[in-house]
Amino acid sequence: MTPLQVQTFPEAIAAMLPWSGLWVDVLSALVGTFLVANFLLLNTAVAGPWAKRKITAAFTDRISVNRMGPAGILTIPADAVRLLSKEQIIPEGVDRPAWDMGPILIPFSALLGFAVIPMGSGIQVADPEVGIAFAFAASSIASLGLIMMGYASNNKYSLMGGLRAVASNIAYEIPLVVTGVSVILFTGSLRTSTIVAEQAQPLVTLWGVSIPQWFAFVNPFAFALFTVANLAEVGRNPFDIPEAPTELVAGYQTEYSSAYFVLIYLGEFIHIFLGGAIAATLFLGGPAGPGPAALGIVWFTAKIWAFYLFTQWARSAIPRLRVDQFIEIGWKGMLVLSFANLVLTAVIVGVLA
Amino acid sequence: MNQWIAVGALALMGVGIPLGMIAVSSLIRPSVPEQGKSSTYESGEIPTKSAIGIQFNIQYYMVALLFVVFDIETVLLFPWTVIYQPALESGVGLMTLLFPMLVFIGVLVIGLVWAWRQGAVKWARSEAATRRKTEHNS
Repeated sequence: MTPLQVQTFPEAIAAMLPWSGLWVDVLSALVGTFLVANFLLLNTAVAGPWAKRKITAAFTDRISVNRMGPAGILTIPADAVRLLSKEQIIPEGVDRPAWDMGPILIPFSALLGFAVIPMGSGIQVADPEVGIAFAFAASSIASLGLIMMGYASNNKYSLMGGLRAVASNIAYEIPLVVTGVSVILFTGSLRTSTIVAEQAQPLVTLWGVSIPQWFAFVNPFAFALFTVANLAEVGRNPFDIPEAPTELVAGYQTEYSSAYFVLIYLGEFIHIFLGGAIAATLFLGGPAGPGPAALGIVWFTAKIWAFYLFTQWARSAIPRLRVDQFIEIGWKGMLVLSFANLVLTAVIVGVLA
Repeated sequence: MNQWIAVGALALMGVGIPLGMIAVSSLIRPSVPEQGKSSTYESGEIPTKSAIGIQFNIQYYMVALLFVVFDIETVLLFPWTVIYQPALESGVGLMTLLFPMLVFIGVLVIGLVWAWRQGAVKWARSEAATRRKTEHNS
């Protein structure tokens, strides 16, 4: 089986330039990734200061931001300036390099994970053979940032928050990866473009409509498991015990203000979108959807926003778990179920093949 | 084009964008150093000692140890899942492919059961806190 050769976004840019060589590659990679990163920042800017408030307000029957611009949309630049122009307070006794590096690591890890995600319309930063494994690896660098922030802040709430964040990330990382790996049993490749191409095959035809072989349809149980583990991995309700505002103030981010506060929030929102993007790539056909292939980026954006809406729905609707329940659900429930899913999928794939 | 050039470029963006935001913020933010502002937050009280070196639940250490075991297992699962489908198609028997992995997962599940029975994944209860409890609901 020869791997599908897909032209990545930087390669498309390099093909448009009249020159060739290593420096053109580097230049087009920088331009391409700059555009992709800014697309993600734009999504985050809409999601963070505006959509989050609007969604929560709709769920709790309130009016949210509505002063600046139509439906309050101009609150986004206003909030960006407001947050960035806050005074930076450096608390006593913080462990300086670690305290500064934590907030940079969070958005770094989330952005890096997007390197292998096919976003449709030919927008994919890179398509290496390790593919989806790289996305998992990059997104789990965030744990390091969280424990650095928690430990270096010299604050008891931060320390507890950092420990809980790592405990939650490691408890749900295994179910997440093992469930994700059960998809690889169908595709036989980690390369994200192959995983997406595999899902374009028709599964069944109902009333003249061809249903594609999205792995969410093939294995809905794995998709449900993956979504729950994903919710825990991005630390949203009901799994938001690392922050748990009523118990720990704000967890690991208690001592951060100004630009660092913005970076932590930015990182968390890109992380939610990365979670949605990995789920879309593995289970929802990536950028696939009705209409021409050029609409891929629209469908991809719709899918990651659907996951974002799901996290916000859960945030408004489901109470938070206690820390002991959280650990027990992760290690006793999710882990066992994810291994059962893997073994069953392997047996079914083997029997059907 | 080498795929890792683009990944490296995105990593550069991932560091550059945060640094840029810090730089912009440092240009427009005020600096009003006052005494008392810089103490860490402890619900408005004067913080007691430092947070470094406080005691915390041993459970965090137990689950982290368990994680190391299972994380290495997932690393070993990856190559197996990648070759699974192509090997089946090229005619390797199902039991030849499946059985070793079932044994491997079985050994780890036995390990999990052992850890479970040892209470490694059950949240440790503080006896002192239980003694001081005024309500009895468990």
